[in-house]
Amino acid sequence: MRFEKYFVPETRQECFALLEQYGDKAKVLAGGTDVIQLLKSGALKPEAVIDIRKVEGISETKITDQGLALGAMVRLRELSLNEALATDYPVIMEAAGHVSSMQIRSMATIGGNVCNASPSADAVQGLILMNATAVIESAGGNREIPIAQFFTGPGKTVLKKGELLVGFTIPKPSARTGAFYEKFSIRGDTDITIVGAGASVTLAEDGTVSGAVVSLASVAPTPLRMDAVEKMLVGKKLTPELIDQAAQAASKSVAPITDQRASAGYRVEMVYVWTKSALTKALERAIA
Amino acid sequence: MSNRIDVALTINGRLHNLNVRPDLTLAETLRDELNLTGTKIGCDDSNCGVCTVLLDGMAVKSCAMLVGQADGREITTIEGLETGDGLHPLQQAFIDYFAVQCGFCTPGMILTAKAILDENPKATEEDIREGLHGNLCRCTGYVQIVEAIESVRDGKYGEARA
Repeated sequence: MRFEKYFVPETRQECFALLEQYGDKAKVLAGGTDVIQLLKSGALKPEAVIDIRKVEGISETKITDQGLALGAMVRLRELSLNEALATDYPVIMEAAGHVSSMQIRSMATIGGNVCNASPSADAVQGLILMNATAVIESAGGNREIPIAQFFTGPGKTVLKKGELLVGFTIPKPSARTGAFYEKFSIRGDTDITIVGAGASVTLAEDGTVSGAVVSLASVAPTPLRMDAVEKMLVGKKLTPELIDQAAQAASKSVAPITDQRASAGYRVEMVYVWTKSALTKALERAIA
Repeated sequence: MSNRIDVALTINGRLHNLNVRPDLTLAETLRDELNLTGTKIGCDDSNCGVCTVLLDGMAVKSCAMLVGQADGREITTIEGLETGDGLHPLQQAFIDYFAVQCGFCTPGMILTAKAILDENPKATEEDIREGLHGNLCRCTGYVQIVEAIESVRDGKYGEARA
């Protein structure tokens, strides 16, 4: 590992100035648990590392009547253990808790998990399921983007030169909403996800589905939100038969790769199994 | 211009002011700059857990941290557990329960165990196993390690867990 400069800006202005100055030659470091391995392997060769842990206003978790605001620097372990989130945002806690080991979660951050842009990122799935919006700032202004549109490829995001992901806003879920994320891996949470499947279901008073999110991890170059599958559910009663059809549709619409963890065909099968399970458990929570 | 950075690390209660290259990991700094070789480097890609230290009381993997990230913080390594009165209860328990074979994973195991029990003194076997998920032992397995930690939890070594 070799880089020359290490900055710890304390204000956003300082940070934006460094991002402008160094551009592609700088790498932002949040928790570092992914970035440091990429620095060691030589996959990243920046001149400067910008450690954003002291940047003001990006390490807080704020819960209001409207929803949840998460700073990019909120650590995954803090998120996974924050009981204040248990009522409305349990899937955010659980997805964050599925990332690796206790030691890694103590350092790793929600913003880092997003910016690392791995298709297998577990904490990202919680954000997708809860309709999170990414808040991006730069010296030139701010913009917001739905989290599912943040990713453009493995390790690639919509962030442009000079931009910093500062956090997320998550609307408070409607009554009768349930969400669940399933991580499937061999060695538990420490292992990289072979297939992840998530579902969020909101029921109308008559018990039909008024809103749904279905998301998948590790089956495409980016985390996936399954719009077509969601459309199959809205306005209908979520019967076991409909859940089965939705899981089959999800399975048919993915084109994963074969790698050392699983074959493409196996992943396709597992998308069916775990989407079905996630939808079933999300429904249980929506009714509870 | 100098590319070195100043960091202040409180390690095992003692303040160290260092001027180091920024591209060192905390694990490298502990071992190579401070000769605290109780902290091991195994996989060096944050899987095996032998580099575990406590950062402000939390278990972290020091191979997955830059030295600059530890600036201003308190670090406990395996060298910091022993007191004038002797070994830390977890260290003694690991000996008594034969929770050591080659010993390479032991510093990380003990520090992770300390983080688990400090946070939850009533940790169940399941909690302990979940907490140890990021620490690999490739000699013999985890049964005696878990038993050693449970014995400390159950007060077999007194209350001196701090």
